[in-house]
Amino acid sequence: MKRPVEKIGLLLLNIFFIAICFVVLVPILYALSISFNAQGGLLGSDFRFIPRDFTLAHYRAVLFDQPVLLWLGNTVVLAVSAVGIALAVSVPGAYSLSRFRFAGRQRVFSGLLMLHAFPAILSMFAIFRLLSPLGLINTRTGILIVYVGTMTVFGLLNLKGYFDSIPIEIEESAAIDGAGMWHTIKSILLPLARPALIVTGVMVMIFVWNEYIYAITFMTGASNYTLAVGLYTLQATEMTGSWPIFAAASIVVSLPILIIFFATQKYMTSGLTAGGVKG
Amino acid sequence: MHSGKGSKNAVKSWTALFPALLFIGLIILFPIGYTAYISLTNMNIFNWFDFRIIGFGNYRRALFVFNSGFLRALVVTVLWTALNMVFQLAIAFVMASLLNVRKLRLRRVYKTVLMFPWAMPGYVSILLWRHGMFNAQFGLVNQWLYTLGMEPRRWLADDFSAFVICMVVNLWLALPFMIMIMDGALQSLDKSYYESALIDGAGWFTRSVRLTIPAIRPIIAPAVIITLFTTFKQFDVIYLMTKQIGARTGANIHTVLTYAYESAFVTRNYGYSSAVSISIFVMLIGFSVLVAFLRRRGQKA
Amino acid sequence: MKRIYLYGMAMLIFIVLAGCGSRQDDGDGPVVLTIWHDKEAEVAAALQGKLDELRPDIVVTLERKSGLTETLKMVGNNPNAAPDMFFFAHDKIGVYAEMRILSPITDFVDAGVLAQFLPKTIEAATYNGVVYQLPLYFETLLFMHNRALMGDDEVPADTRELFRFMQRATGGGHFGFIEQFTNAYFVGGWIHGFGGELITADGVPRLNSPEVVAALHYYGRLVRLMPSEAEFATINTLFRESRAAATIGGPWLIPSVREAGIDLGLAPMPVVSETGMPLAPFMGVQGLHVLRVAAENPRRNEAIRTVLNHLVSTDIGVALARASGSAPALAASFDLSVIYNDEMVMMMKETAQSAIPMPNIPEMDIMWTVAAGMLVDIHFRGHEVERATETAQNRAEDLIALMR
Repeated sequence: MKRPVEKIGLLLLNIFFIAICFVVLVPILYALSISFNAQGGLLGSDFRFIPRDFTLAHYRAVLFDQPVLLWLGNTVVLAVSAVGIALAVSVPGAYSLSRFRFAGRQRVFSGLLMLHAFPAILSMFAIFRLLSPLGLINTRTGILIVYVGTMTVFGLLNLKGYFDSIPIEIEESAAIDGAGMWHTIKSILLPLARPALIVTGVMVMIFVWNEYIYAITFMTGASNYTLAVGLYTLQATEMTGSWPIFAAASIVVSLPILIIFFATQKYMTSGLTAGGVKG
Repeated sequence: MHSGKGSKNAVKSWTALFPALLFIGLIILFPIGYTAYISLTNMNIFNWFDFRIIGFGNYRRALFVFNSGFLRALVVTVLWTALNMVFQLAIAFVMASLLNVRKLRLRRVYKTVLMFPWAMPGYVSILLWRHGMFNAQFGLVNQWLYTLGMEPRRWLADDFSAFVICMVVNLWLALPFMIMIMDGALQSLDKSYYESALIDGAGWFTRSVRLTIPAIRPIIAPAVIITLFTTFKQFDVIYLMTKQIGARTGANIHTVLTYAYESAFVTRNYGYSSAVSISIFVMLIGFSVLVAFLRRRGQKA
Repeated sequence: MKRIYLYGMAMLIFIVLAGCGSRQDDGDGPVVLTIWHDKEAEVAAALQGKLDELRPDIVVTLERKSGLTETLKMVGNNPNAAPDMFFFAHDKIGVYAEMRILSPITDFVDAGVLAQFLPKTIEAATYNGVVYQLPLYFETLLFMHNRALMGDDEVPADTRELFRFMQRATGGGHFGFIEQFTNAYFVGGWIHGFGGELITADGVPRLNSPEVVAALHYYGRLVRLMPSEAEFATINTLFRESRAAATIGGPWLIPSVREAGIDLGLAPMPVVSETGMPLAPFMGVQGLHVLRVAAENPRRNEAIRTVLNHLVSTDIGVALARASGSAPALAASFDLSVIYNDEMVMMMKETAQSAIPMPNIPEMDIMWTVAAGMLVDIHFRGHEVERATETAQNRAEDLIALMR
């Protein structure tokens, strides 16, 4: 129907998105330009998006003079474990909140929401007091507990919201076939909730990827650094550091996230077929 | 399966919840309790390791924080939260709907690019905005103005424009997440809900309001509430944009947290700062309970 | 699936409850000491080289810690997590001394040895009569000028000349003189030159004193001829781009300025015409501090004594000073030709004669914040000096009262 209208509409839509993407990217293009610029730093009186004096030296400096691969390794281990554990504890928890009517359920739910009201500036010290006697300072286990604990509330609530939207009838038909709770979750709920799982996973991953305050405090020593911490130590201060290298490092840190994000896009549709049960 | 079976189900459900609650208890609940405990002690740099319980003295002193400056910060914070949420929800919904137009082939590319602000550590982006975009001497915005023959401005020195800029930066940082949430929620709906956004025009709008939004509301509600609190507690954007040591800009905008930071946390008196934090926490909870109560009454009426 | 889940949960509880491992190293073999620092790689390498001479009996590892000051507050008394020493500026000594995590340096180094350091560096390291730092090198701000824009004969001897030069040279995007005018570290030099101070040695703020008010009034006239942004990147970039003839900046600025091809001149601080005293910037002394938990361990105590005394030598002082672009703390260093012929170091030594060591009392933390707010109120928000200083004084008093 209305073919030409649709075509023009699509064209306009594409133009719209290209414009939006440019606007969104302005600060990042700025960083990109600094990172490729052979002369000058963050500031300068004649900025241009395409540097006059193009160089890859800053990227070389980031990739070869800094133990970026080591940091990347640390970050990947932490991020993957955190995503895995956070999903493993959130899925059953969210299922329980969504499907069971048990005493205290409403209270747990609103309690979880309330917890977000606490300004976490002071949490650091308390967490240190908790992890220190357990010998978990300076260990991956310690920082993982912090990351998973921080993100689990989000995981629980986000997944619960999505589970709520999946009609219970689908599961009931499975239950009649004699499948237990675990089987139901695995074979029916998870495929249907794929978008929510991806959103939650990406959220946890990005959090771990970019988190530096806990990592700096609880993981000492350059061999334990994550990318964000390494980047933070490269940060340009008045006395040390160079903005071009910092900018190059920021770009390098962001790229893996974008690649993962691009790759997971494909799976962002729910297992529900259009016009299915939902109707 | 969600009815009947009584205690067996309760055991099952608590077992399933237990690991999640364990982590939350350790990392979120424990610090709150510990902060409450510290707020009753005299822990400060002069009694750093040998502090003792002194009762409610810190709360008595904390009352002084809640002066006119605090009230002003509270008003700013409420305004900040409300405006940010409205813009975030509206923009994210429109963007997510448009991204789901069926024949948009480059959707994955657009989505990925739009996620870029989220992929960078927050402090990096904020520093880029502060120094790259809005530096009064060299910032890109002023260079553009200069090229256009206009007068450069001290954008961040004025309370109003600084507030607007901080909001833009916050939206820039927060929108990727919100778009992703909305996108995920739309995926759960039948495609006919939103696919004709492009051709329908006004029809799309009414349909969104009548059908799509009510349908995704329960799915996005948790994320929205979490974002609401995050926005309320936002510290980095306002602090790094206007109050960084050595790079203060002159704007005097405070949210509750930056205000507490500058009038309590700088003293390094942990007992006192904890009392201030707990008081703010209690106030926030009171506020949320009130909102929930009013909403429920509104629904009944 | 269910079994896997239960198994996972058990693991989890185990992980959380496990642990309680601790660092046990009091056997034979070398003593391993850890030093935290926040310095550039060259400085750390120079220090590491010197400390490696003590191998194999003592092995010292240097660890760069970004959040050093905050982390120390948490782990300072924890033998498992705290370092043995840390390498930092002297201005946090008061905080750590009050927290009782520091060991006096005189427990390790004889008073006679400390007498070999420049008196001001020892003064900086002293809190409540106790020396807590072994100084290695110090830095002060320097008066720098771009010879192409301000010739050696144009260098202002006093602030009146400086102001006249600024009036002549400022305009069209160019500036006669610039500095970070909302940063108390920089404005401190002016306040001291007028005979004022931010805070007394026993922690009483002096922001509304007549000297401070006079200094800020005078300074305000200069600020009107400075750029619209006062943070370090802007100021340094303007100087590097030859758009400012002169600045007062830290020695760390020098390498990048030379790299930008600027013919850099260094000059003594101008004299304040009203008082006859030179601008007296703050001075920072960098050195080693010993943590009490390390000193309480006899084996470590002995090793720390060896390390500290090993570092009392002109060669390492000079090496560190050169790596960091600062001046050595041992008085004898200045007899060496390599130092004697270094224009920058000698200028810093001259500036240091009038410079004021940054106060190391805990109250100073508050003063930096409050004074910065005050300067912003005056220069960016147009508040009157009298009103702004009075407000800041009250604020500082309130906040200091809240520290206890």
